[in-house]
Amino acid sequence: MEQAGKKRIWGEYQKDIAEDHYFYVRSCIRQTFFPGSETTFLRILRDELFKDVFEDARHTTCTGIGYHTDIVPFETTMTIAARHFALMTEAGYVNFVPSCVTSFGIYTEILDTWKHFPEMEAKARDFLWTATRREFKVPENLSHTSDIIYKFRNQLAASSKHHLIDKNDGKPLKVVEHIGCHYAKMFPKCGIGGAEFPAVLSGMVEAWGGEVIDYPERRHCCGFGFRQYLIRANRGYSMSNSKKKFESMQPYQPDFIVANCPGCAMFLDRWQYTIAEMEGTTYNESGKGIPVLTYEEMAGLVLGYDPWVMGMQMHQISVEPLLDKIGIIYDKKDKYLGSKGQYIGVPQQPLFLLQ
Amino acid sequence: MGRLHERLCEDLRCLEGLNSCMNCGVCTAICPSAEFYHYDPRIICDTVQSTDDELIEQLLKSDTIWYCGECMSCKTRCPRGNTPGLLIMALRKLSQELGYFTDSEKGRQQFAIRRVIGDSILTTGYCMRPMLVNPQNHPEQGPVWEWVYNNLTEVMDKVGANYMKDGPGVLRQIAPAVLAEINEIFKVTGGQDFFQCIEKFSLDKANEMGLIAGERGSDNAYFSEVYTKNSGNHH
Amino acid sequence: MNKTIVIVGGGPAGLEAAAALGSSPHHVLILEKEHETGGKLKNWHHLFPNFADAFEILKSLEKTLPLNNPEVKYDSNVCKIEQMDGKLLVLLNKGEKINADAVLLATGFDLFDAHKKEEYGYGIYKNVVTSFELEEMFKIGSFPDHLKDGMPKKIAMVHCVGSRDKKAGNLHCSKLCCITGVKQAIELRKHLPNSSVYNFYMDLRMYGQHFEELYQEAQEDYGITFIRGRVSEIAENSEGSLQVKAEDTLSGRPMKMVFDMVVLLLGMTPASSTTPISVSLGLPRTNAGFLSPLHQHIAANETCIPGLFLAGTCREPLSLQESITDARAAAFKIIEWLKLKDNN
Repeated sequence: MEQAGKKRIWGEYQKDIAEDHYFYVRSCIRQTFFPGSETTFLRILRDELFKDVFEDARHTTCTGIGYHTDIVPFETTMTIAARHFALMTEAGYVNFVPSCVTSFGIYTEILDTWKHFPEMEAKARDFLWTATRREFKVPENLSHTSDIIYKFRNQLAASSKHHLIDKNDGKPLKVVEHIGCHYAKMFPKCGIGGAEFPAVLSGMVEAWGGEVIDYPERRHCCGFGFRQYLIRANRGYSMSNSKKKFESMQPYQPDFIVANCPGCAMFLDRWQYTIAEMEGTTYNESGKGIPVLTYEEMAGLVLGYDPWVMGMQMHQISVEPLLDKIGIIYDKKDKYLGSKGQYIGVPQQPLFLLQ
Repeated sequence: MGRLHERLCEDLRCLEGLNSCMNCGVCTAICPSAEFYHYDPRIICDTVQSTDDELIEQLLKSDTIWYCGECMSCKTRCPRGNTPGLLIMALRKLSQELGYFTDSEKGRQQFAIRRVIGDSILTTGYCMRPMLVNPQNHPEQGPVWEWVYNNLTEVMDKVGANYMKDGPGVLRQIAPAVLAEINEIFKVTGGQDFFQCIEKFSLDKANEMGLIAGERGSDNAYFSEVYTKNSGNHH
Repeated sequence: MNKTIVIVGGGPAGLEAAAALGSSPHHVLILEKEHETGGKLKNWHHLFPNFADAFEILKSLEKTLPLNNPEVKYDSNVCKIEQMDGKLLVLLNKGEKINADAVLLATGFDLFDAHKKEEYGYGIYKNVVTSFELEEMFKIGSFPDHLKDGMPKKIAMVHCVGSRDKKAGNLHCSKLCCITGVKQAIELRKHLPNSSVYNFYMDLRMYGQHFEELYQEAQEDYGITFIRGRVSEIAENSEGSLQVKAEDTLSGRPMKMVFDMVVLLLGMTPASSTTPISVSLGLPRTNAGFLSPLHQHIAANETCIPGLFLAGTCREPLSLQESITDARAAAFKIIEWLKLKDNN
């Protein structure tokens, strides 16, 4: 693969990412499955980069999952979004930063719709006023949380304690980067690097010493499919799509997978477990599966944060092989203990997937 | 052009999603659903484009429109600027408004989503939260998740969450005043009406099938039926 | 009275127009931006539909050049043309000015920049090549040596690259790529008898004489497979082979195939070198960006600017044969116009 060709495309899809003063809204899925990642993001922004990040406790779900399972009408979703813009305006911010990739997709879709159909924006104002007596200004900048980390990746590299390098041979770790569909597929210009060769995670990986793998199903959806996972009868769809990706990436022997969408990270982790238990198949030689990280966890490891405080014990695929490869010192015994060191039980062992 | 087609064209997503289709097939080529289901987004666009109400009605009553995973990969590739995924959203909306969704096995599943996700939004302010992912219903989440689920407070505490407490933070408790605003928004924007529409048609279907659906929640026979039934004829 | 006619562009249209004007008393000057004439014809090996030798045709078009007839200035890029006192002042990038009684724009076309079609991976995956590059391989008689055994065994031809594509910025059909795809597919099978070739198309535009018959020959005599589905994505496998995704729309199934080499059939776009000229003159463009004639049907070689004429692919996608005929028509119109001007 010729790097020059990729860099050319990245050069054409540059995006304006706000420098500071972020109005932050959380992700339902990230809070559920990767709660430590949200905490880590705020810690990085505030403690490493000294940025002003504001969270209004009165914000809620963006209803994205409801919208994409077709139970919540567009008018409702856009008014919920408008309410968040109102909270942002009230707090004196203009830069809107969602943690969830589906949310990011929703907000970009809404802003785009309002541009083409100004009467919808007028309707949103009207609905919001009628329902809540709130008024809003449209954000000046809309960036995903991974865009922010991307923007400051070199600064973070400068204060890093670890690199994405295999300490045994000094070679860059081979990384599969997975971009959530709703980050750039709808509006390629809203994603750094566009939809075909997105740069947001590649940029981080390369800034921190790793090597990005391009494999045939790189751009393929992880298979969340909203209703295709949420309803048990449909879950085969979800698993099949992840399986397709695993089979495609396996020949490249990745050291880990990183995703900017929390749903994707969860699925790529869990489906490896499910496939192992159903078929006895794992996708790396050790039989332990390929560790799947959120980009916050990847950034946190590079900065020397404790993996268990970041919540990496919540992954089904064990992350220790990766931590050992990088040379991170961590307390093995602390993995499943509570915050005061108390014993709270340990997970059962899977039948086939090694842990 | 029939009345169904006209109604469809009133939906913004249909206007945004379909300009004109030249049947090139790039959408189907990369569609995750097309690979695993008996589904072809190109044919969906072609069908709507035909303005044939009979075909559109068939579509609205079929499993077909429920196969899409709304990943929007189709939008990235279409050389005419169409988005089959958006068209699907318009079709799904109309199918539910008209009650046609209960004719198909996949369509009936909307009831389960309405009960779980819909009620979660209105009563907690979250679309998804840990208590919704019961390991009994989600064996694929694995034994680590089961351990998390059984030790939620402690695990959340370890990772710095503000679990079910006031103020900002991960998985905070969303204040009643905020929930009141959300509910009001749903009322004013037609969201509440739409929920009731899904409920009404689903309850009618449940009656017809001789299954109890109850007034709320997932602990009923109709819920179990739509949540788990798979005829295996979808490929 | 001898007039000065400047022809911008020494490709087939420019050369043929000059030849047609050669029997007139006027002084004809060709301004060629490169250091040799011939335009894109220089890079071609065999021409559709009968595999005629491009080099022979080029030589025939250039046959009077050694006699300095017409005069040709090489490495001469036109940066501006201005209307001045009923004439046209042509400014070259080197600073030289030429006062012309009539100017014929024969600036030709550019091939679509395949890098823009990101999902095809041109410039990123080395076994993705263009129709232009394939023609070069035919000329030198060999394929890139990084291919296993120095030759591809399974090749895909991708139609409509940069044409009929809102995302690529070109809604128009480039007309010639389909027949080029059929021709090159046959040539691949001739060069590589053990290869298999697949053409991925949306429509097969077999508009010209013997085109449809060539398509049939491609299927019957050369065993080329035609799949009605536009290529959606090309990705690279670990050993460099290419995974192509398309839908076989005739059977309604998505498909994935692996190839050793993929050839992108590039569309035609208006030559970028013409932009300074059209901007300085205020010459309008068609929706597809080609130079706009005075009237598409009955004044296709004239423009709204007195003394400015068009010939060849600068005004729309044309085959070589059509460009040559078009050039002769433009020459006639120029002579007619100059006579009219003289009489007034």
